[in-house]
Amino acid sequence: MHEMGIASALVEQLAALARQHCAARITALHVVCGAMRQVVPEALQWAFAAASAGTVADGATLTVSEQGVTGRCRHCGQQFAAQIDDYRCPQCSVADVEVLTGQDIVLESVMCEMQDETAV
Amino acid sequence: MKIKVVESVLKANDAVASENRRRLDAAGVLAINLMSAPGSGKTTLLEKTIPALAPVRCAVLVGDLQTTRDAERLGKCAADVVQINTGRGCHLTATQVAEGLASLDLNGISFLFIENVGNMVCPAGVDLGEHVRVALLSTPEGDDKVAKYPTLFQPADAVLLTKIDLLGALDYDKRKVYEDLSRINTRAVLIELSPKAGAGMERWLAWLRQQRGERT
Repeated sequence: MHEMGIASALVEQLAALARQHCAARITALHVVCGAMRQVVPEALQWAFAAASAGTVADGATLTVSEQGVTGRCRHCGQQFAAQIDDYRCPQCSVADVEVLTGQDIVLESVMCEMQDETAV
Repeated sequence: MKIKVVESVLKANDAVASENRRRLDAAGVLAINLMSAPGSGKTTLLEKTIPALAPVRCAVLVGDLQTTRDAERLGKCAADVVQINTGRGCHLTATQVAEGLASLDLNGISFLFIENVGNMVCPAGVDLGEHVRVALLSTPEGDDKVAKYPTLFQPADAVLLTKIDLLGALDYDKRKVYEDLSRINTRAVLIELSPKAGAGMERWLAWLRQQRGERT
């Protein structure tokens, strides 16, 4: 259940963002999870609802999409799309990869209501 | 109003991890993050490894949901041990490691072993500020675990196949581990090990000393 830690980090990030933009409330957010993080969207949504209760993001709708894994072969330099269970380079067959995408979790965008309480 | 953000959710953890690494580098300490399922033999490995590295001094940060049992075991052999109870947390975080480092005396320490919470999913990919990652896999867990939990093994610098002395009592095909690892991570060194029987320990100790020589 590593989603709880991710949800807590998200809530802190959203609080800082709301302060920065003088937002009264966060109403929606979109998060992109690298496939290697093995995030279960429903578990993250559940954890986020619990972690955000009573905060500026209370009740916000969280949508989640997944980013695939890409890597660069450390032997021949080939860049390729890897699978979560197969990191072999299509050119030289060696599984020694510098992962380029697929292991980060990124807050892409948020929808917020400004402090005059009017949704813009 | 829509705000485009594009900012890593993990950046707070990663910033603390970088600071941990800087601190360890300054102290000349090699930090090893040990990850595996519960019961694979992380604590037993350390009970055998730490005395074998003497007179070189080792410290341990040990993560568990509950109890100080591992710290009590390791306190008998390590120069300094800090138990981190994560409560409901299924992996250590960089902040917990930073707090542990604050209460450790790193003076004269060569190796810091970070024994992560026993779990094959959650600790993978969470940077603690370590220099090397070691994944353990014990033979009683079955020969299919590299394929089932690839994200634990993909970033590993070393994979330790532990409890190798039990092979004769198990229906275990060691070749499957090698085959699965050839798809997931050919960079990692794979060491067959029985800390209790002593098999593979010299190779493991030599690897640790080599890592310290190269990275600190």
